[in-house]
This record gives sequence, C-alpha cells and structure tokens, in this order.
Amino acid sequence: MGNDFKHRYCSVLALGVSLLCSVSLQAGVSVTTNTETKLTGWKLSQDGFEFELIQRLPDQTRAFFLARGFSKKVADDIALACVFQGIGRNTFKAGENKSISVDLRSWQVHTGAKMRAVKQKEQWDAEWGSQAVSTASRIAYRWATFPTQQTFEPVGDYNWGMISFDLPPGTRFDVHVRWTLNGKPQQAWVRDVQCPPDIHPEPQ
Amino acid sequence: MKKLFCYFVLTLGWWFATTAWADASLTPMKGKPPAPDFTLVDMDGEKHRLTDYRGRVVIINFWATWCPPCREELPSMNRGWAKIKNEGIAMVAVNVGEDEDTIFSFQGDYPINFTILLDSKGEVINQWPILGLPTTFVVDKQGRLAYRAIGGREWDSDALLNKVRALNKP
Repeated sequence: MGNDFKHRYCSVLALGVSLLCSVSLQAGVSVTTNTETKLTGWKLSQDGFEFELIQRLPDQTRAFFLARGFSKKVADDIALACVFQGIGRNTFKAGENKSISVDLRSWQVHTGAKMRAVKQKEQWDAEWGSQAVSTASRIAYRWATFPTQQTFEPVGDYNWGMISFDLPPGTRFDVHVRWTLNGKPQQAWVRDVQCPPDIHPEPQ
Repeated sequence: MKKLFCYFVLTLGWWFATTAWADASLTPMKGKPPAPDFTLVDMDGEKHRLTDYRGRVVIINFWATWCPPCREELPSMNRGWAKIKNEGIAMVAVNVGEDEDTIFSFQGDYPINFTILLDSKGEVINQWPILGLPTTFVVDKQGRLAYRAIGGREWDSDALLNKVRALNKP
C-alpha cells in the first residue's frame, strides 16, 4: 500500500466519520446525529454503564405496531408518545463482578418546571384493558419495549427496547437517569433531549 | 500530523468495534435452578419436550424476527452450531409470538440451521427468567440452567463455546 493511498484512505475515513456523526458532548453524554436518517441519539457513559436513547420517528413506530396487529388508534397513541429506542449495557469486563440494575420507575423526566415519570409498559397495557388489543399484539409490545427493571452482568449483557416518555412530538426535556452499581445508587442527567418530530420524510 | 490523526481515527474505530464483544461471555446461574419444562412444536409441527433432551447440553435461544440484536447474532449461532453439532450438544431457537409463515419468510434472508421451536402464544417465555430478547440459556445434562446471556453474543467464539463444552464432559 503506497503512502499516497494510505493518506487518501485515512482522509476519506476521517471525512466519513465526521460526516456520519456530528457529535457534541455533555459530561458523560455524547450526542450524535446520523446524517442519513437525521435521527439523534444521546449516549450516557459512566463507570461501566452505558445507556443510549435514539429517536424513533413516529412513522417508524406506527408502522411497527400496525404490522403487529394494533389498531390505527392505538398505534398512533404509542407513535406520538415520544418513543426512543433505549439500549442499556454493562461495559465492565468479565470477572470484575459489577452488576448494574436499571429501574425505569426511578427515572424523572423534566420539562421546564414540570416533572413526570417515564411511561411504563405496564401502564400502556392497563390502558388497553378495555380495547381490542390481541394477545399476539401484546406479546410483540411486551418484548419490543425496554424492561421496566433489569440487571446486567459484566459479561457483555445488554438489552434494547422502546421507551416512551409520553410527551408531544418535538418536546425538549431533561432526563434524570438512575441505576445501581452493585446495589449502590448512581445517577446522571441527560439534558436537552428532543422527542422525535412527527415528520414524514420523502425518499430522496 | 495528518498521519497521526489518521492512526488516531483508526485506533478509535478499532476500539469501538472490539470493546462491545471483547469480554462478552456467559453468566453462571446462581444455584443452577431447574430449567422450566416445555413442549413446543417445530416448523414441521413435530413436538419437542425439553426433558427429552435430558443427558445432553442444550443451548436455548429466545428470539423474534423483528428483534435487531437477534438478527445480528443468528449468523454466529449458525457458525457455532456447525462447530458443535457433532459433539452431542443441542441448539434450539425458540421464537416468541410469531407464526410459521413469518419465520419461513424471514429465513429467506436469515437462514437458521438448527431447530426452531414456536412459542406462538408467548407462554413458555413467561415461565423463564427473561426480560428481553435475545436471551440465551445453556442447560446442562441434568436439565439445570447453567448459564445465561442477556443480549447477543458471538456464538462461534471458542472461548464461549468451551464453557458449553465443559458442561458436556463426562
């Protein structure tokens, strides 16, 4: 491989990296916008714990649930409830013996002076009590959403799933993330998160 | 200077690419509780009972077609299966909440070379200690839950498979 090629390869790679993501940093939080999808992700990394919130367009979420047998009304209700893809991970090495537990019920969502909780999957399920949501649809919902409470062991454990903040599309909010490390409470803020807007991008 | 930056970018890329899987392994299950028994049908309608596998080590993966990390780990499970299938170890993929047609179409893009069982009503998964997909268990010869992996793994890794093989020793 010639030097010229190496330089060109590296320049293209560096350009690709900078084009792919525009990154800004809060303490322990990186914010990345994918230039292709225009969707933004907030990634909190702190002492062996990683939690990422990636915007999901309402259309994406709507299509997912319509394809799993939900009525248009229920699919719309979920899609417009500020849904993110959540990815939680224990990044400690095997043998470090450090368990991380996440309980979404302890998280707080701040919009201006108001504070609220994350809307749990159990709350959604209870709301559909009287509505016609089939068993198959409920199964899909249950397993496609982030568990309310889960423990991750230091052997590469991770999980992902949708999380709804129950705010209107485009709302900006701060989220107070709480977890435990071997039972000891930990916390961090992820600030200025934005609910995905209800846009319908045309294919280019 | 440019060169230095390039190496930095490459190193960073390598670090991101490898860190996620570097230490990925299996969590030993405390007290090795008995694996909840089940009877499920495969894609040909044949019944499979977990206790029929007694005396063999079984890798049981719970998954769904719409689950991205499940799709990501399936090729490595096929490669892992190719390594262990002649060693007396069994591997099954329990699909959660979907029907044969959905799985059949899915296999056009993501072939699965080992046994697929259908938990169409999601009743079996509720009996197991599972909160998300994919989750995989290794059941020992005595029918006990020996290991668990929450999230995807590289199932063709010999370091990981050797833990499974160790359970298979007489």
